[in-house]
Amino acid sequence: MERISRRKFVQRSALATAGTMMIPQFLKALENPFAEGDKILVVLQLSGGNDGLNTIIPFRNDIYFQSRPKIAVKPEKMLKVSDELGFNGALEKLRSIYDQGFMSVINNVGYPNPDRSHFRSMDIWQSASVKEYLNTGWIGRYLDANCNGAEHNAVEIDDSLSLALKGDAIKSMALKDPAKLYKATHHPMFKTMAENQPGAHADPMVSYLYKTAAETVSSAAYIYHQTKTYSTTSVYPNSDLGNRLKTIGTLINSGVNTRVYYAALSGFDTHVNQNGQQERLLTQYAEAVAALVQDLDTHRNLDRTMIMTFSEFGRRVSENASGGTDHGTANNVFIFGKKLKQAGFFNGTPDLKSLDEGDLIYQVDFRSIYATLIEKWLSADSSMILNEKFPLLNFV
Amino acid sequence: MTDDEKSKHLCHRAGFGSSFLAEKKQMKNFFVKGGDVPIDVIAKPEPSKTAMGKMQFKEVFQKSRANLVKLNLSWMERLRNTNDPLREKMVLFWHNHFSCRTLIPYLAQQQNNILRKYALGSFADMLREVSKDPAMLQFLNNQQNRKGHPNENFAREVMELFTLGRGHYSENDIKEAARAFTGWGFNVKGEFQFREKQHDFEQKTFRGQTKNFEGDDILNAILEDKQTAKFLTRRIVNYLVAQEFSSDDIIDDLAGPFYKSGYDIGKLVSNILSSDLFYNSDFVGNRVKSPVDLMIGVQYHTASQFADPQSLIFFQRALGQLLFFPPNVGGWPKGKQWIDSSSLTFRMAMPQLIFHNQETEFQAKEDGDVNSLREKKTKRDFSLNVDWKNLAGHFKGSPENVVQRSEDYLLSRPTSEENRKVILKLTAGAKDDSDLVKRIFTGIMSLPEYQLC
Repeated sequence: MERISRRKFVQRSALATAGTMMIPQFLKALENPFAEGDKILVVLQLSGGNDGLNTIIPFRNDIYFQSRPKIAVKPEKMLKVSDELGFNGALEKLRSIYDQGFMSVINNVGYPNPDRSHFRSMDIWQSASVKEYLNTGWIGRYLDANCNGAEHNAVEIDDSLSLALKGDAIKSMALKDPAKLYKATHHPMFKTMAENQPGAHADPMVSYLYKTAAETVSSAAYIYHQTKTYSTTSVYPNSDLGNRLKTIGTLINSGVNTRVYYAALSGFDTHVNQNGQQERLLTQYAEAVAALVQDLDTHRNLDRTMIMTFSEFGRRVSENASGGTDHGTANNVFIFGKKLKQAGFFNGTPDLKSLDEGDLIYQVDFRSIYATLIEKWLSADSSMILNEKFPLLNFV
Repeated sequence: MTDDEKSKHLCHRAGFGSSFLAEKKQMKNFFVKGGDVPIDVIAKPEPSKTAMGKMQFKEVFQKSRANLVKLNLSWMERLRNTNDPLREKMVLFWHNHFSCRTLIPYLAQQQNNILRKYALGSFADMLREVSKDPAMLQFLNNQQNRKGHPNENFAREVMELFTLGRGHYSENDIKEAARAFTGWGFNVKGEFQFREKQHDFEQKTFRGQTKNFEGDDILNAILEDKQTAKFLTRRIVNYLVAQEFSSDDIIDDLAGPFYKSGYDIGKLVSNILSSDLFYNSDFVGNRVKSPVDLMIGVQYHTASQFADPQSLIFFQRALGQLLFFPPNVGGWPKGKQWIDSSSLTFRMAMPQLIFHNQETEFQAKEDGDVNSLREKKTKRDFSLNVDWKNLAGHFKGSPENVVQRSEDYLLSRPTSEENRKVILKLTAGAKDDSDLVKRIFTGIMSLPEYQLC
């Protein structure tokens, strides 16, 4: 198995396109301040508002069972991991990861004046801005702040790009399958057009479009060539998220110089008959994450990878009349990695007694988690990216 | 600029492109009569007398989803087929300005018609109606704004996003204005309702003045401030002329008469469109088309429609602008923000889908909500029903000649000689005139320049 180094790749590409105006573009796109072997962050988004209380269950709390006569998770369907808290049985695949100390659960995560709309709350989590409406996301601003980066320094495994990954200057990249993206962007018409960049006197907007197109061509080529000789021996579940995380595992293990990966699993908006649906989704989630953790560990990349999972909000403490739950507030966040300073439960159980109109009151601002990951893991300045200084936590 | 170039620029910015194939859509006048006919495809809800069961809830959700699709497509059809493109272009502007989401189709339609009615009329009247509009009151939580338990969301956005702009009011102004709007709500029929019992009739201090402010007094005080005229003028100049335009002097020059006219939007727009500023060549051909501009534009340019209108839902979702579903009260992205590697790749491949009925595995993002709009997941037909033969009749000549004339027609700014050669290469082996034009249009509309107008 041959790994193409970045330098070699640049040389080859340069030869292949010698004589065209393309060379400087290629060099520029691949020259960036991130080195191979650097730390990597994987962000997994559970869209729709995962019910945190049925994910990590406070099984010693009577209020939990009283508030949820129909949908409370039964003791036999629960994995008790501490004296007070249990995992939903659907998370079985995460049990051994938890036992090895590769997982940390942060409870009661939220933000002031919680918004119960999916769109707004997701916006808040992705832009990391609670008051102001921003058109950039926290990962995008991380790329902006570490300037001269290429768009593939952050990659979302999807067909289109989320707000979280959009910066002002750099917009990250969305892809599901490196080979398909390569094919699409190396369609003769697309590729030649992208390379026919107008001269220096062109309008800045025209240049911006051509620059984006050319970088897409070169980043797609870089990722494709870097990964095409790598084939994983690890087994991933054949699910939507499984396939996405397989792509992430492949990119990381083949040494692509991407610092942040992003993927989402959708369907957590469980207003009606919640339990079956949530169990299916959590099973898919746990199987896929377990496979990724295993795969990264086998290739000695778990040391340098941190995985974070969040959802835009939790759900109300009390069940509704349809065997489901409605939109709520604070929720749990999961962190996976080999370098956790505090594995297990990071903080206490949710307080089901003092609620705000039936909703949990947050204790940890999610921006503190972002700040911690940015400063302690990615070694960047969080206050520039989050526009504010948030206290750092000691899970990393 | 030649007159033809001016006309093309005007058609693109004040409409959705030129189309000599459909004479009526040429922009001869700014203002056309009768363009403000309301969209009327959703019936007014009848309050039901019996309580709903679980099954009925599901049915109601399905029905409202179907109606939201219907409403969305009705507006898309209006945009394509209107005699009054400037008005619809401004309805789009106001739809983004008064950014709002509701899952009740009738309320969405009702608000859209308010915006259409005043799109080129009085901003003062529009503001007053939008502020009493159930969709907006619901979206900005004013139903929960009660005496003693104020909800400031509506009061804040009215000042921050709709009128004055950030930095031109205090937090105290918001608190006091929120008190004045207590009790502004709506009933099940979708009508404004003033709930006296929830209203705070006490004195309020707003922008230094203490009196018995009512909601309408707050709106009047905001309209009296010239800053509102400046804020709106800047936003409309950004929309029609240049996204990043920043000269305070020119904004002030335009805002003065706008303020004096009592917020006559038509006059302001007409002043902008006839100014030298508008035709300044620095601003021609460098505005990124929004997804809706782009999808209406391809239909304009080819005088055609989608074989399956549902395609328009797919394209709106894929490109990130689904009408009636703005991402938040701040509205959709603007300018450059529309373009990233995946959106540009998709835009550049789009002519293959619509002219050659190519399939795509592209899937638009789920937005988390079980109740939101999706296109039907059957086999997808993205084709446009272009009459290529008729179109070819307008572009007779050698391939080089047809490339040149199509470029003039479709692009606001010429492309490079190299790209012209790429497009000319595509014509090799064209079966006939129709095929030739189809290949050339496919090529030009795949260019990055086609994303701009």
